[in-house]
Amino acid sequence: MSNILVIEDDDIMLKAIRNILRKDGHEVITAKDGKEAFEKLDNEQYDIVMTDLMMPYANGLEVVSRIRSNSEKRNVGIIVCSSVGNEETITEAFRLGADDYLKKPIMAGELMIRIRKLLANRSGNVKLVTKKK
Amino acid sequence: MWNDLVELLFQAYEQFSLLPLFIEIALAFIIIAIAATIIAYGAIMYKRYKSYVHEKRVAFINPIIEDLITEQVLLNDSLGRDIPTEEIEFNPEAITNKVYKKPFVRQILIDTLIQYRKNFRGEVGDLLRKLYLDMGLDKDSFAKMKSVRWEKKIKAVVELTQMDITISDVTILPLTNSTNASLRAAARNAYIQLSKNEPFKFFDIATEPLLPWDQLEMFKIITTTKDIAIPNFSRWVSYSSNKSVVSFCLKLIAHYDQQSAVPAVMELLNNKDHYFRADAISCLGKLSAEASEEKMVKIYNHQPLNCQLEILKAMGNIASGKYLEFLKSEFLFSSNFDIRMNAARAIIKHNTQNSRLLVEELMEMTYEENQLIIKHCLNPLIKY
Amino acid sequence: MGVTFVEIASGFFETSVFIYGVSLLLIYALLAIMSFLNIALFLRKESYTDYKVIVGSPLAPGISVIAPAFNEGLTIISNVRSLLTFDYPNYEVIIINDGSTDDTLEKVINEFSLVKVDFAYDIKLSAKPVRGVYKSRDEAYAKLIVVDKENGKAKADATNVGINVSNFPYFLCTDVDCILHEQTLGMLIRPMLEEENMRVIATGATLRMANSCEVDEGVLIAIKAPRPLLARFQELEYIRSFVMGKMGWSYINAVPNVSGGLGMFDKEIAVKAGGYDPASFGEDMELRMRMSRYVYDNKIKASVRYIPTTLCWTEGPTSVKIFMRQRTRWARGLLQLMLAHKKMLFNPAYGRVGLIVFPYNFFFELLAPVVEFLGIIYYLFLIYFGLVNWPYAIILLIFVYTYSVMISSLSVLWDQLTFQYYKTWKDVIRVIAMVFVEMIIYHPLIVVFSLRGYWFQLTNRKHSWGNMQRAGFKKKSDDKSKKPQPAVSPS
Repeated sequence: MSNILVIEDDDIMLKAIRNILRKDGHEVITAKDGKEAFEKLDNEQYDIVMTDLMMPYANGLEVVSRIRSNSEKRNVGIIVCSSVGNEETITEAFRLGADDYLKKPIMAGELMIRIRKLLANRSGNVKLVTKKK
Repeated sequence: MWNDLVELLFQAYEQFSLLPLFIEIALAFIIIAIAATIIAYGAIMYKRYKSYVHEKRVAFINPIIEDLITEQVLLNDSLGRDIPTEEIEFNPEAITNKVYKKPFVRQILIDTLIQYRKNFRGEVGDLLRKLYLDMGLDKDSFAKMKSVRWEKKIKAVVELTQMDITISDVTILPLTNSTNASLRAAARNAYIQLSKNEPFKFFDIATEPLLPWDQLEMFKIITTTKDIAIPNFSRWVSYSSNKSVVSFCLKLIAHYDQQSAVPAVMELLNNKDHYFRADAISCLGKLSAEASEEKMVKIYNHQPLNCQLEILKAMGNIASGKYLEFLKSEFLFSSNFDIRMNAARAIIKHNTQNSRLLVEELMEMTYEENQLIIKHCLNPLIKY
Repeated sequence: MGVTFVEIASGFFETSVFIYGVSLLLIYALLAIMSFLNIALFLRKESYTDYKVIVGSPLAPGISVIAPAFNEGLTIISNVRSLLTFDYPNYEVIIINDGSTDDTLEKVINEFSLVKVDFAYDIKLSAKPVRGVYKSRDEAYAKLIVVDKENGKAKADATNVGINVSNFPYFLCTDVDCILHEQTLGMLIRPMLEEENMRVIATGATLRMANSCEVDEGVLIAIKAPRPLLARFQELEYIRSFVMGKMGWSYINAVPNVSGGLGMFDKEIAVKAGGYDPASFGEDMELRMRMSRYVYDNKIKASVRYIPTTLCWTEGPTSVKIFMRQRTRWARGLLQLMLAHKKMLFNPAYGRVGLIVFPYNFFFELLAPVVEFLGIIYYLFLIYFGLVNWPYAIILLIFVYTYSVMISSLSVLWDQLTFQYYKTWKDVIRVIAMVFVEMIIYHPLIVVFSLRGYWFQLTNRKHSWGNMQRAGFKKKSDDKSKKPQPAVSPS
């Protein structure tokens, strides 16, 4: 079972995603703004973090950057999910280290597939690391 | 007793009529002011009470609606099994609950479903639409369309558009010519999204300007509606006399990278309106239209500043390498800061062996401020 | 011929004051009606608007948010953070460190991993020298630009530097310690994008007191009416001035001023008009006037619009001393401005600005304290000589009082119709109570401070003023000219 942190300031979307992912068999923890997200990131390890971009306290790019600059969390899969669709923001997110970008409105099926894929890649990576050792 | 009162009032009036005019006016206004003040506080109390009741109701109904959508749509077991959405059935008991008969609940339902549709497309989105139809909420929206208040009409049009419900041409076409600008815009958006045959028909006939705010919404509708037949927008660039339609089409041409539109857009370089020319130049740049470079360089010297800057930006986007010398001389000899900045940026954007050598060369031969410009443009931390 | 000079003079005085008073009351009544219509129109539009459209759009125009900071070390980090979280896709945040003597700059550099960069920009508006421009190494803060400059002793100077450095066609002028709504950029840009045949050169929205609001790291948690008495009066004054005054004027495109605390401007026009004037005591209104002059001189059809929604919360002064300093400064600014642009008064070449905005501000804002003061002197004179008709005098007094109570009450109602910012009745009552005592307690202060300002301006008290202003500038909640433009002061 995988541990997913969903960061989203729209209440409807937050609950919907939580329900969908839980049904798909994931453990879901939610955060409704940047501040809560940072607290929850410090407290626990996650396999995947899914974040919105525009939220109070801190924007999603900061979340991505914070995760990527922490060596312990390098392996976390990051999905950015936002209604912002301009090229610049999307490339910015990828450059900072996001693994995927979903523009709202999203397809629930697609989200689940991408999460599974990310999880598969991740476990692949982890295995590689352990082999090297 | 009654007579006494009449007598008293009469006396009061007699007294009043003896007063100077300004005191009479003052007394009258005192009464008006006191009355208005009392009414104002009455209205505040009423308004607050109403929203208090509304909030209570919303707090009560929201969880019920959320559960409904979660159970019937988000967690519907038929999802993800390649069953066509039309064949998925909802639990009849769940959707016929009598609480859903109240008008205010139905409006909240519609608003909530739209919220969800803004977040979900695909199968979930289709199922949300089916729920809207199965609960007969489309009838509510259509009823609102008949309202005399324009904002209600707009709300209805927006709801139906969001839910992808076809509105008959007879209903929507008259609204696209409404004298109310907002209603007109909403109706046009609906028409584009829902009309099956000729979604862009009104581009031909629109005489009123397409305001930038309306363009935002329309752009979104055009770029997100599936199965919409994207026409060749150069048609309107060539033939429309409505400037805002043309400039909107330029944005769409750039977005859809319609290379075939290049000749039509180049025609606009001769247009008299310089704001318009600037839009056209910017569009050519985004299309990377190498064919237009020669013409742009040719007209460059006769252009106002905004067009010159757009030309330099466009040359940076096209980056054919043929006009590096031109950019170099603009950078070295222009007295205008913005021109030097954009020329430098255009050169750097080429990002070829030649351009990099040129940048090094310029760095050595030019004076301090220009060197700073180059450093600015080369710095990856600076975006603009 | 028993008519003496004194009688003629007093007759003349009484008549002019009467006409003056009646016109003022009529204007307020008109403003109340126009603002109501304007708010109703706004609310109708709001009922179906979704600002998410602009958030998701690649066509959203770029906006530069410019926020000067002077010795804000205590709160700078959360303030900058909150400016970086607007719900808008295309903007940059320019923080101007106006030669702070505390650790403002160091804090920002450390928190956002800033480095000094070679930054080229055109000095379109002259201002004090820039010491350095900083950008973040962390791409999450790519929107942020921090400019370090020498202190210019004026917000105008710092904002001009921000305009020079900015990259977008629109700029939002604010203060670093203002708390802004996340939807600010979308809501203020909207009027710019939906006017036919007119160029909207500036937009603004309502400001309110942040004094008793619950704020957490620059994010507004709960909106509350201020508790300190002075701030409560200001809250009421701001509501009246913005929700009734500016919304009313906006209805006929005659907005006198876009507040320095929050305003969005068309950069091209602002720059061509010459930017902010560092020598002005009311630089926000001064810029608005100069922009108007520019558009009329160049035959551009332009408008300035307001929306009734509160988008900005600012700390109001709670000590009478600081409050006095603020109002004295505003009054100076008004007088200075009227003298500098007197050419526009009643000048039809400046359209509504020359025929409505200017005359109104001249007669009913600038002269109001003077007229009131003279009126009181006159009455004292009458009392001394036993010439007062007491019943009439009392009726007139009650008249003025009830009328001003009505206008303020209607403002509170309009505000409540726009949006119910206060969640509890307690908060509403806290503000409403001020309606009834404002004229006795708050209003006299404003009259005296305004006269003090005029006096200082006329006697050209430059140096003492400059020192005072700088001393005050260090403190939070000082006169940084988030002026609601004193429109609709009860008199």
